[in-house]
Parts: sequence; C-alpha cells; structure tokens
Amino acid sequence: MKITFNEVTKRYGDVVALEKVTLEIAHGETFGLVGPNGSGKSTLMRLLLGIIKPTEGSVLFDGVLLDELGWIEIRRQIGYMPERVSFYDNLTGLETLQHFARIKGGSVSNIKDVLGKILSNEALRRRVGGYSKGMRQRINLAQALLNNPALLVLDEPTSGLDPVGVRELYGILDELKSVRNMTIVLSSHILAEIEEKVQRVGIMKEGNIKATGSLEELYRGFNLPLRLVITLREDGDRRIVELLKAEGMDSIAIKDGSLVTDLPRDKKMRVLSCILDHKDSFSDFTVREPSLEEVFFGIH
Amino acid sequence: MVFTDALRAMAVKELSDKLKSKWVIVITIVFAVFTLIIAYFGSVSSGVVSFTNMSATIASLTSLAIYFIPILALTLGGGIIADERDRQTLDLYLASPISVFEFLAGKFIGLAASLAIPIIVGFCLPGFVLIFKAGSGSLTGFLMFVVNSIFLGIMFLSISFLVSVLIVERSKSIAFTVFLWLLFTILYDLSLVGVLIITKGVLSPKIFSLLLMLNPVDVYRILNFITIGQFSVILGLASVELPGFMNRYVLWVVNLFWIVSPLFISYFVFKRKYLK
Repeated sequence: MKITFNEVTKRYGDVVALEKVTLEIAHGETFGLVGPNGSGKSTLMRLLLGIIKPTEGSVLFDGVLLDELGWIEIRRQIGYMPERVSFYDNLTGLETLQHFARIKGGSVSNIKDVLGKILSNEALRRRVGGYSKGMRQRINLAQALLNNPALLVLDEPTSGLDPVGVRELYGILDELKSVRNMTIVLSSHILAEIEEKVQRVGIMKEGNIKATGSLEELYRGFNLPLRLVITLREDGDRRIVELLKAEGMDSIAIKDGSLVTDLPRDKKMRVLSCILDHKDSFSDFTVREPSLEEVFFGIH
Repeated sequence: MVFTDALRAMAVKELSDKLKSKWVIVITIVFAVFTLIIAYFGSVSSGVVSFTNMSATIASLTSLAIYFIPILALTLGGGIIADERDRQTLDLYLASPISVFEFLAGKFIGLAASLAIPIIVGFCLPGFVLIFKAGSGSLTGFLMFVVNSIFLGIMFLSISFLVSVLIVERSKSIAFTVFLWLLFTILYDLSLVGVLIITKGVLSPKIFSLLLMLNPVDVYRILNFITIGQFSVILGLASVELPGFMNRYVLWVVNLFWIVSPLFISYFVFKRKYLK
C-alpha cells in the first residue's frame, strides 16, 4: 500500500498541528517517524488512519482520495497498534482478540502462525486485567495483525517491553514483513531501535517534517561528522591528542582509556593516515557513521 | 444491513463485560430483594402483611424505580466514551472498519441489554410469586410495569450517552449525570409544584401535563399509574386530572422521543468532536 501526503495542513482553531507536510511512503516500506512530543507525530498518524481529516491538502492511498465509505474499506487493510492501550480487564486475552477480530472483519485464525510467539495459550486464557505491561503490548500487537493488514501503523510499539520483549517484537515484525510484505509506519522515542529497523525515517519538529530519507541520505544530507573512537595505549594519549588538534579537531573526550572525537568527512583520509603513523600510541580504532540520535539532535 | 457484525460485536462485548463484572447479577439480586420486600410488606401501614395487593405493590415499586433505575442507567453510560478514550481503545475503534453508528449503537444495545436483564429477572421472579398469590388478572399490569421500567432505563441510558459524548472527562461526566439524576427525580417535580403553588393554580392542567411530559421520570410514573388506574397519586396532587391527549400511546411516543433524540444528537456531536 502506497501512501501519499500532499501538502497536508491540520489546524485546531488557531493552533497549527501540521503544516504543509508532503510525504510518500512506498509499498512494502518500513518508515520510521521520530520527533519530540508536540512535533505533530500523533497528528500525522491520526491522519494516516483517517481518524481526523486534513484542513488542507490530501492523504492518498495508492493514489486514491478516500470518502467516508472508502475510509471504512481501507481500514480493513490497516492494523493499528496504539501506544499503551489498556484493554478490557474482564475479558480474557482470547476474548479480546475475538472481539477485535469481529470489529475488523478478521479472525484469530489469521494470526495462528505468529500468535504462539506473541502470547502463550495460558496467557490467552487469562483475563487481560492480570497482564503485565509487556503482555499488554503483546496483545496490542496481536490485535493489530488480526485483519492481515497491508499497512501496519505502530505507535511506540516497544513501550513497556523489556529488552528481550523488544527483540522478540522486532523479530516477529521482521518475520511478518518477509512473509506478508506489509508497509509499516512506526514511531518511537528510542531512536536506536528505529535505526536498525526502518528503511527510511522522517524527522518531525513543530508540525513539519524537517528531513526524510534513508539514514545514509540523512547523514550525508546534514554533513554530520563521523565518530572516531581510538583505544589508547598507556601514555600514548598526548601525541594523538596533539595530532588531532593540529588538524583542527578540538572537541576531544577521553574516557576509560578511549578517545572519542568528531571526524569531519573531508578530513577522514588525512587524519587516518596521520594516526596510523603513530600505531604505538593506540591498540585499536573505529570510525562509524553518526547514530540516528545524533542526526535527530543535529536537527533539533 | 443495520445489524452488522461490528455492531453485534460491540453489543456482545458490552453485555459480556457487565455480566463478567457481576454488575448484572448484583443489580438483579437487589431488584428481586426489593420487589419481594415491597410486595410482602408494602401494605403494612394498613395493617396487612401479605402478597395480595398488586396495585399497591406496583405503586411502591414505581416509587423505588424512579430513583434507582435512572441512577443506574446514568452511571452505566455516563463515562462510556471517556473510558474508551482513557484506555486508548477509542482511537483503536476509530481506526477500525466500524462506523460511528455501529460503534455507538452497538454500545447502546449492549448496555441496554445489561440494564434490561436485571429489570426483567429482578422484577419478574418475585413478581410471579405475587401474581400467583394475587391472581393472574394482575399479570398484564405487572408486565406493563416491567416494560415501562425497561423504557425508563433506556431513556436515561440514552441521556447518559449524550452526556458521555459531550463531556470528555470521566469525573465531570459522572458528576453531571448525578446532577441530571437529581434534576429529573427531585428538582423538576419540586419546581413544578412550586410553580403551581406560586401561581395559585393559574397553570392549566393541560400545560401542567405537558410540562410533566418533559420529564422522563414523570412519563414513567404516569404510565404506571395509568396501568393501575391511580393517576391521582402523582405528586400527591389529588386534584390533577389526566387531560384527554395524555394516554398510554402518546406517552410511549414521548418515551421514544427521549430515547431517540439524545442518541441522534450524540451521533452528530461524536462525529464533530472526534472525527474533525
């Protein structure tokens, strides 16, 4: 499912929640949405789900502008996992899934291939009121998959999950994606997670998308420096520090025997060849691209 | 097709939630116990203790039901939208292939059933004992009382839906439903009596009757007293007589108005408020 936002503006009275956002999410793509609270992420997601309508502009699905009936039809192909949803305490896990399956026109049998990985049979028989935060997120994911969605919208999907849960959740998503070729749109505050999972990312600020693209495109587009980490040998630090300062690299931090500094892309080859001339001062070094977090804070 | 799978799913969920929370059972028991006590001891002031006087029992049950059923219905539906919003399931429904009509109607039908079950079972089980003792001639009257009571509950449930859609915060929504309960069960009639006394009878019976019809509690009360043929006990005003237009059929239409109009407004307010 291909989604197009055409100069979409959303106003609530005088407040502009989203301003002239233009965005295209390709069929089968995994798109990440990052931004602080109030940046317009939720508004964009609600527009994507058809819960609210644009004040100006349009949201197209596979190039089609939807009317009210069209939205109900398209929602049969959308799975939505809200952040921290709290289901009905008196219903069991299975009853909860059966309820949402009826609402969505799906079936619990649609997810029998992954349900066992999301929740055990024992958990499905228990009332949701007794679930831990992690289990609530799992059943939240399960309900989002009930209608075999072509588009999966995940709002902070790992909220409340422990590290094992996070890994399992992304494992399930990877598996689903490889089998079902869904388009996935996910938002997260944990940028390191998105970094590994998305093909492209949109960085939002004050109702605008400040940047979109693959992580590589973003790194290059913002010309952020690389990150150089050198594991120093004893007493070797002074020579390396002086060498780097001579190249104009003043922001140097040394912690636990490692030197960390930003390495301008245009100086990469020269600096590396210089430090290799002083091999006896260090035991190892690495050069890496900036993280999404660094890109994010570079923009904000 | 009106009764879609999604609508049915909403209704079944609401009913099963109330059944599992024991709400239905507790209210059923309360109704049954009250009915038994009132039926057996209802005529104690006249020195009689037995299951014999159906009219007195219906009159006493009506006096109980006008307080009890509205507050149950109002609290049942008053926070229904706020609850869904707080648990974030509201967005989940709005992002699902369910229309606003299916969502609201499904919830309404489920809650109406949750309210109707205790009314039917709670009143009818002891009611059958009463009919057995008082004779089958009183069956119709008692069944009419039960039907009227269901309508009373559904009218207030409909009003509570409107409150729930209008007031987003649960605490405010519940507070307002309690105010409505006071208004309809006590303040409205007190005000009417006050106006009657102040105006020294200037208010014609026709206008007075029309004003009574604006209050669903009074509509219920009048319907029950028409059933047992004791309209004069309404508000304790023996001098008030029923005008010709105020018959059972007109009152049922008024019942329907009180059910349909708040729901109708709720539908449009909901669409404006949550899907803007």
